[in-house]
Amino acid sequence: MKAFSRRRFVGSSLAGSMLMPGLLSEMLAADSTDPLAPKAPHFPARAKSVIFLFMSGGVSHVDSFDPKPRLIADHGKQVTLDHPETRNRPGYEKLFLKRPDWKFRHRGESGIEVSDLFPHIGSQIDDITLIRSMHTSHSNHYNATLGMHTGSFAFARPSIGAWTSYGLGTENRNLPSFLVLAPQMPYAGTQVWSADFLPGSHQGTRVVPGAEPIANLKPRVADSGRQRLELDALKAFDEEHLSARHHDPALESRIRSFETAFGMQTEMPEALDLASETDDTLKLYGLQRGQSEGFGWQCLVARRLVERGVRFVELIHTGSSNNWDSHGNMADHGRLAPQVDQPIAGLIQDLKRKGLFDDVLVVWTTEFGRTPFNNTAENPGREHHDWAFSSFLAGAGVKRGHVHGATDDHGMRAAVDPVHVHDFHATILHLMGLDHTRLTYRHAGRDYRLTDVHGEVVRDILA
Amino acid sequence: MHSIARQSRKIWIWILAVAGMGHLRADDELFEKSIRPLLETRCVKCHGAETSKGGLRLDSKAGWQVGGDGGPAIEPGKPAESRLLLALKGEDGMTRMPPKEPLSTAEIEAISKWIAAGAHDPRVGGPVKLGGTTVDEARRWWAFQPLRQPQVPGNGQRNPIDAFLAVKLAEKGLEFAPKADRRTLIRRATYDLTGLPPKPEEVDAFLADTSPDAFAKVVDRLLSSPHYGERWGRHWLDLVRYADTAGENADFPLPHAWRYRNWVIEAFNRDMPYDTFLKEQLAGDILAAEGPADRYAEKVVATGYLAISRRFEHDSDQNMHLTYEDTIDTLGKSLMGLTIGCARCHDHKYDAITSRDYYSLYGIFASTKYAFPGCEAKPRPRDMVPLAAPAEWQSTIKPHLDELAAIDARMKSTAEKRKAHVQEAQARFEKARHVMSTGEISIDGEKSITDGQATVDVKAGEMILLSITPLKNHGADSTALDFEIAEIGGSGRTWNATKDLLNAFPNGNPAADSHGNADTWWLLDTRGGPGLMSEFVKDLSGKAGLNVWRSGETPSVFVNSSAAPVEVWTRLPARTLFVHPAPDGNVAIGWLSPITGKVNVSGKIRDAHAGGPDGVGWVLEHFASDVREPMIAQKSVSAEARDLIARKTELEKNAPNPDYAYAVIEGQPADARMHLRGDPKKQGDPVPRRWLEVFGGTTVANTKGSGRKELADWIASADNPLTARVMGNRIWLHHFGKGIVPTPNDFGTRGTPPTHPDLLDWLASEFLRNGWKIKPLHRLIMLSDAYRQSADPPAESSVTDPSNSLYSHFERRRLSAEEIRDTILAVSDKLDEEPAGPHPFPPSDQWRFTQHTPFATFYETSKRSIYLVQIRNRRHPFLGLFDGADPNATTPQRQTTAVPTQALFFLNDPFFHEQAAIVADRVLAEPPETRANALFRIVLQRQPSGKDRKFAAGFLDRYAPSSAKDPNPTTADRQAWATLARILMASNEFLFVE
Repeated sequence: MKAFSRRRFVGSSLAGSMLMPGLLSEMLAADSTDPLAPKAPHFPARAKSVIFLFMSGGVSHVDSFDPKPRLIADHGKQVTLDHPETRNRPGYEKLFLKRPDWKFRHRGESGIEVSDLFPHIGSQIDDITLIRSMHTSHSNHYNATLGMHTGSFAFARPSIGAWTSYGLGTENRNLPSFLVLAPQMPYAGTQVWSADFLPGSHQGTRVVPGAEPIANLKPRVADSGRQRLELDALKAFDEEHLSARHHDPALESRIRSFETAFGMQTEMPEALDLASETDDTLKLYGLQRGQSEGFGWQCLVARRLVERGVRFVELIHTGSSNNWDSHGNMADHGRLAPQVDQPIAGLIQDLKRKGLFDDVLVVWTTEFGRTPFNNTAENPGREHHDWAFSSFLAGAGVKRGHVHGATDDHGMRAAVDPVHVHDFHATILHLMGLDHTRLTYRHAGRDYRLTDVHGEVVRDILA
Repeated sequence: MHSIARQSRKIWIWILAVAGMGHLRADDELFEKSIRPLLETRCVKCHGAETSKGGLRLDSKAGWQVGGDGGPAIEPGKPAESRLLLALKGEDGMTRMPPKEPLSTAEIEAISKWIAAGAHDPRVGGPVKLGGTTVDEARRWWAFQPLRQPQVPGNGQRNPIDAFLAVKLAEKGLEFAPKADRRTLIRRATYDLTGLPPKPEEVDAFLADTSPDAFAKVVDRLLSSPHYGERWGRHWLDLVRYADTAGENADFPLPHAWRYRNWVIEAFNRDMPYDTFLKEQLAGDILAAEGPADRYAEKVVATGYLAISRRFEHDSDQNMHLTYEDTIDTLGKSLMGLTIGCARCHDHKYDAITSRDYYSLYGIFASTKYAFPGCEAKPRPRDMVPLAAPAEWQSTIKPHLDELAAIDARMKSTAEKRKAHVQEAQARFEKARHVMSTGEISIDGEKSITDGQATVDVKAGEMILLSITPLKNHGADSTALDFEIAEIGGSGRTWNATKDLLNAFPNGNPAADSHGNADTWWLLDTRGGPGLMSEFVKDLSGKAGLNVWRSGETPSVFVNSSAAPVEVWTRLPARTLFVHPAPDGNVAIGWLSPITGKVNVSGKIRDAHAGGPDGVGWVLEHFASDVREPMIAQKSVSAEARDLIARKTELEKNAPNPDYAYAVIEGQPADARMHLRGDPKKQGDPVPRRWLEVFGGTTVANTKGSGRKELADWIASADNPLTARVMGNRIWLHHFGKGIVPTPNDFGTRGTPPTHPDLLDWLASEFLRNGWKIKPLHRLIMLSDAYRQSADPPAESSVTDPSNSLYSHFERRRLSAEEIRDTILAVSDKLDEEPAGPHPFPPSDQWRFTQHTPFATFYETSKRSIYLVQIRNRRHPFLGLFDGADPNATTPQRQTTAVPTQALFFLNDPFFHEQAAIVADRVLAEPPETRANALFRIVLQRQPSGKDRKFAAGFLDRYAPSSAKDPNPTTADRQAWATLARILMASNEFLFVE
């Protein structure tokens, strides 16, 4: 991956006009004052970067990745539960099991069952580790979304992407270390990618499709020659200022940041521009040529970003509305699934084709599952369910064609080898070469961790 | 204190008892042989010095006597009541211990017997603990020592600050760096005290002032500037995580929070003594009641400190335990440098703070009523605190209420007169009533009222009346009407209600027809008889041309007289007539015949509110009797009623409106129960409201109050060893870029001890000596040599003091986010220097915020950045980019990052480009030869050097070829100068203070 990026840099139009970014990143690596300089992991990493696919609103596990024959057999049976979403809720005094709306099939050589909601992902199941025993600590979108990103279900804390950036730095200084492709704002807003008390350099940078994917990315001085003149003059002026002073890393790193920004103006749009991709590749993601939005675009851009050395790329599907929150009717899952199914399957295939699958960890998750029951069996929707849901990992360092954990007969609770969000985080960090108990930051008298005081690495899924 | 006291007493008694024995007793032997090994091999790993899960330690007798979260672990003599035994058996809902491998039955039996025999335990074991430390260690902790008054070193010739610093410098053979030049110094001082650059004239004046106290005069001028409070108030707002939204899942706006923001600014400007400043923030509502009356409002506003605590989750009312944690955490860190919030779930791991301390403070805040901002589950805000004292408010409102009462009395008598007239009319009507047609329309229906067969003989003064009656609820809401009377024979005149009323509507009720006859059309509320409606509203709901006559909300008659449809509760087409019956009675339009002859009546009614609840009925009647006299009699009464209604409406509109603060008042006083492991569902013993045990644990004396007043006194006290030190350190920090204690929010064992402890204590003592006033400390600090030295260290100090911990030079700092934006606006001369008021939030009755669509609007302003809206769940894009304060947690010190996305701002941001272009215009207004001078003066507050001039000229030359192609040289010039302005405004010289 590294060699590939180098070649790009040398061949880039920037070479010759300025300090070559490829060299720049090496220079920066030597600079201990640069918070984004690459850092050695705690132990050899299995994954160099992460693509974190987040489905907002709560994807139903029993309709997608967690087949429950007993749920079909017991459809309409009354159950007695003390559930956070139905407790003391008028009209929810009686609860009835409710069968899935999609048929499950054995897929691939592993024969793992995936429903017809995600046929494309199902076709890649032999490259996936499916976790069917996820559970979380809150049944509200905002809090569960915050928890899935920061390990904290109420208070603002650094996001997993920020922790990763803090722990490992980044390879390519022409791009931020942590990028979030989020066409819409998620629940809990910018806290989802916040660095919070970590140094601000680790904060996620939001990328939106359209003319200006990052704020102020588009050169306002249309003529790049003029912008070069402007930057050269600024640099000369700053260096004159610096030469009259003793070494001060703050002044120096700010001078450098302009070169990086200049590079970013070119490199970022280039990373987002799919023009150089072949028809075959576009097809893999279900993209039309010229298409520059949609989850397929997000997925292919994610591949291009990890290729360029970005440490952590998060893709958010939908946002805080019009999402997977199918209270009213599960049929809405049928509208949303095709938006992500082929793109995700395409991403896995593409990473493999490009030889990146051993270096990149693909994480697919949502904030919680959906209830295997409702107040009538005929109610077409499902409610929020924090007791159990499904997530998956694929690529660097994880088993392929493997299922970890299980829910009980009705998909109600994570019953076998439960994996809490904290365990999930510990495992992702582990794959990045980071010990979640040692990745700490001293803030206000306390050593904070992504996993608070919890979390066990799920060793069973490690390849 | 009492739990320690209790515990010490027990230990003391035990020591006395054992001391008397002198030999190994049988019970000692039992303990040593069968109990100690069990405890040590099976329990102490999790319940000992290393970890004490659940707060329980079993490595000493004191450990189990005090017990963990659930209280004492052993009741000597009572195995069945001992929590330890219950846990070993896994009984009474307790998790069985040890969790991995329970004790054998025989082992449990041994422990049970031991407890039954009195649980003799010879282990004096370990010192008495207080949180994460021992009582002794806590007593010795540097920050808990009373303030000392250290001797100022040297001969008293130097500024004491310099004297203290010089000692350590001298140890390393160092001295202060040379003095900064004057332009650097005034720029430094102006930013430090006001957050703005000096004006070029101010620099000139300082450069020209040769008097020895020239700099002291500058400092005094800056301290009296209103911008001082905007800079130092911002430091405080950072600490108290000020925001304009509540922070719960839908992030509701706080329309009144700005008053607290402005109160803080004003308090700094007035140099309010810091103890008063704290007391008012903690207990201003209580102090306000003590007078004086003219300071009531501001004291109430001050408690915004507590009210702006963050709110949590979907229903923030149900999660106040998290809000109290936020209060306690922020209070501990911001006022005392203590991390008390850590003790919510367990005793502090390192500091002398117990979980009981936490819940004793918790009780104080739970006994306080916080203003409720609204949340998705309960969108209406409540419990805002009026700014007027109750008595004052009464005297303001009384004249208003009296006037209202007088109008109400007159309305009542008018209503009685009206009633008499209506009854008289009704009697006359009933005698001569002929029903011409009746019918109903269903939802969304439409019917003709007469089938065209309604010819009737009328005499002048008789009435034809069309009434619309409600069927079930409000009767199909709005009903459109056509109502026409045509003369048969005679002059063949027609009377069309819509046509006539569209024009005549505002003129009065009854209305004239289009043939010159007054009092032809009567709009009636027929509940109790044909009563004339008296209330007229023009442009209802702000919709031009939508006029209504009504009695209360309903019944009513509307016209949309405008040429376009209006959207209200439904879409009302252009130039149409509607009625709306009352739920309990009819609305009617009467035609008082101006002629004697034969007429034909026609018309139709139509449901005008699609999807309304149900249909309406109608009755068309002819009253064959002259009804003029009782009807006309209603006119004057009605006019009077109309006038009274108008006066009442006006009065209500101008009613004295109490302004509100987002603040707190006293609630229901009660001690809080412990939440075991921080879980509010697992309640433990109540803890009396009291002060921290390490400071004596005094309980709240007035148990009828929340205890905030006492808390304020304990904190804002000269005897509190932390308060003055913590604030003194902060003042130092914001001048020198780092604290004497480098962890300004943590003076505990996890923090970093002071680099110059004597200096810190001296500074804190000076602070107290000056009556807690802050401005004298600024003077003291800023007039020191340490403050006035250059930011460029002498060569030797970069080796000996590379991190500048000895203050061998001044510390260069990047401007804060607010300073950057304010400076950009200042140099473009577009900064509005006036303080700001409230944010333009939408009115609260329109709030529909949810977690799906939270409040998230950033309002633009050209005011100073402290007045920018701060949203908890969305960082302000600009402030977030440049390391602004975290609106969710106390920020003692800003970070400084240099990330490329910041550089992109200086390359491409439209606001930045726009301001630079304005600077260029300012410069271009000068003659060509002085333009470079003007640019440097405006942007950098200095004259350009020869090199600078060459640099500027060189740049313009290089830029010229590319702009020469530009057909308009003025534009080209402007572009070149704007670019040069951007370069200077993006430069390190601009961005850094030194």
